[in-house]
Amino acid sequence: MAVSSSIRPLISCQDLTKIYVMGKEKIRALDGVSLDIFEGEFVAIIGSSGSGKSTLMNMLGALDQPSSGQVTINGEKVGTMKSNKLADFRNRTIGFVFQQFQLLPKKSAKKNVELPLQYRKPKVRDAGEKALHALQLVGLKDRAEHRPTELSGGQQQRVAIARALAGSPKVLLADEPTGALDSKTSNDIMALMQDLNRQGITIIVITHEDEVAAYAERVIEFRDGRILSDIRQEAAA
Amino acid sequence: MMFASLGLAASSIIERPLRSLLTSLGIIIGVAAVYAMLALGEGAKKQVEESLNSISTRTMQVWPDWNRRRSSQSRPAMPFKETDVKEMRSINGVYAATGTITGRNYTIATDRNDVEGNFLGVDPDQLKASGSEITLGENISFADIDTRRPVVIISEGIQQRLFDNQNPLGQNLKVNNVAFTVKGVATKADSDISFGNDDLFVWAPITVARERIIGGNRFVQNYVSNIRVVGELGSDLDRIESEMDIILRRSRDLRSGATPDYRVISSRGWREQAAEQTKGISFLLAAMGAISLLVGGVGVMNIMLVSVTERTREIGLRMALGAQKSNIMNQFLTEALLLCILSGIVGLGLGFFMSKFAMKTMEVELVFSPTVALVSFGSALFIGVVFGFLPARRAAQLNPIEALRHE
Repeated sequence: MAVSSSIRPLISCQDLTKIYVMGKEKIRALDGVSLDIFEGEFVAIIGSSGSGKSTLMNMLGALDQPSSGQVTINGEKVGTMKSNKLADFRNRTIGFVFQQFQLLPKKSAKKNVELPLQYRKPKVRDAGEKALHALQLVGLKDRAEHRPTELSGGQQQRVAIARALAGSPKVLLADEPTGALDSKTSNDIMALMQDLNRQGITIIVITHEDEVAAYAERVIEFRDGRILSDIRQEAAA
Repeated sequence: MMFASLGLAASSIIERPLRSLLTSLGIIIGVAAVYAMLALGEGAKKQVEESLNSISTRTMQVWPDWNRRRSSQSRPAMPFKETDVKEMRSINGVYAATGTITGRNYTIATDRNDVEGNFLGVDPDQLKASGSEITLGENISFADIDTRRPVVIISEGIQQRLFDNQNPLGQNLKVNNVAFTVKGVATKADSDISFGNDDLFVWAPITVARERIIGGNRFVQNYVSNIRVVGELGSDLDRIESEMDIILRRSRDLRSGATPDYRVISSRGWREQAAEQTKGISFLLAAMGAISLLVGGVGVMNIMLVSVTERTREIGLRMALGAQKSNIMNQFLTEALLLCILSGIVGLGLGFFMSKFAMKTMEVELVFSPTVALVSFGSALFIGVVFGFLPARRAAQLNPIEALRHE
């Protein structure tokens, strides 16, 4: 996708630094990271463990805040937001997909997908319809009343993706989305993400697998809390 | 939102039925005990009020002190005089004062039939003082006493035994071969003194009974063997009793400080004692209720902490999806509260049946009022809030990143 630098970025990180204090030691998980991500992009963030990619993911997901620097998402300064506003912001702007799916085991797929809508203000009246629509997007409308335990791993991750989509977020943030899946199912999930991206949804995937990164059109590699490379590529089919 | 967290809390409780039940047990017992305690306390209060109003509690009986006869130095206890009764009747706040002479085992006979029964010489106040009522005919009058008319009132027992439940008015009846005319029929009150044959009574004008049946006393003119004084509702019984003392001491020439040769007996002392005892039981129940509520509350707190730990990842997920601290706090507080509300309802039911059972088996009176239910139910709510707060706050303070990673 052609990107012009004159467009305001959807996500903008300026000189992000995150320092964890472990006893006497200070660990720089992020060290002066600046980065822009634009609407409609499919970005893969790769790196080995300890490279800082998970820390970045927490910043981008408004789950954590930097020690210094600023994260601006959708025009809002997330880095200095208060806890309650942050929660509301996450609810409207970010759709999370986790490695372990994180579905509530005793609730139906539909109820799981409705979950983010429960916390939306003002109250969402057609939460049920929205959930069914999201399930349709991931091809699981006919499984709406099944519990997670009655679904395969791939199907569970699809439900999780539907949950992320239900609140019509600005960006889908996936943390190792294929980490618990076999390679064929992984490909299905990534193909689904690619499909969703083509429908206009901004997607950021954190991964350590090159096969997964291959689906993205832009790959940012991290090492020791810094950006090692930022490459735009032809996405895999 | 409140509705949503209620649904959440309900499903969380239903999904773990055994645990919820075990946790509730302490609260259930606590609420039941508090309920029973309050019901018992109210009952005791009501009982005291009622018994203080009843005739028997307001009654003071005066008897000669029979024990004095054992001492050779003092003269034997003397009976009382009709004038004593008259004076007592005029004490302020006296409802009835009656003098009686009692006789035992008299043969009461008609032409056809006879029974052994109690024969008493009385005055008109005796009916009032014993709480009995005329069911047929008329009460004995002061005129009957003055003119020494041979008339009697009989108890319903006598009416049944000697007159086959027919109208006995105007019929003749012999007591130890002295003839009387039946003037009335009266119910027999519990407080009457009897010597066996509990339902067989014949009451005659005191003068007639004394002079023709029971016999005179060589020391005392117009004697009566005992006096009963009943205070009016709400009157100061202690004051009346001390005024009775003054009258008796003057009439018997007792020097001040001398040991009286009579005794005033009343039941209000032990009735108050009984009430105190009920209060004691009530306090015991309160202590038991408080302890079970405390233990139950700690149980609720414990189980809520377990629940928070178990669902750490769920909490992290909810936070990531946009739940605010207050949402999480509400969720767990509602769960603890709902648990306590349900326990409270069951506890109320249990308390109600326990109290009913206690009422039947232990002959204690309990009063069931909305206040009692409200207070015991409120204590469950209170426990829910107090002991649910810490776990709920712990849940709300979780860091979403760490919570999501929790194994």
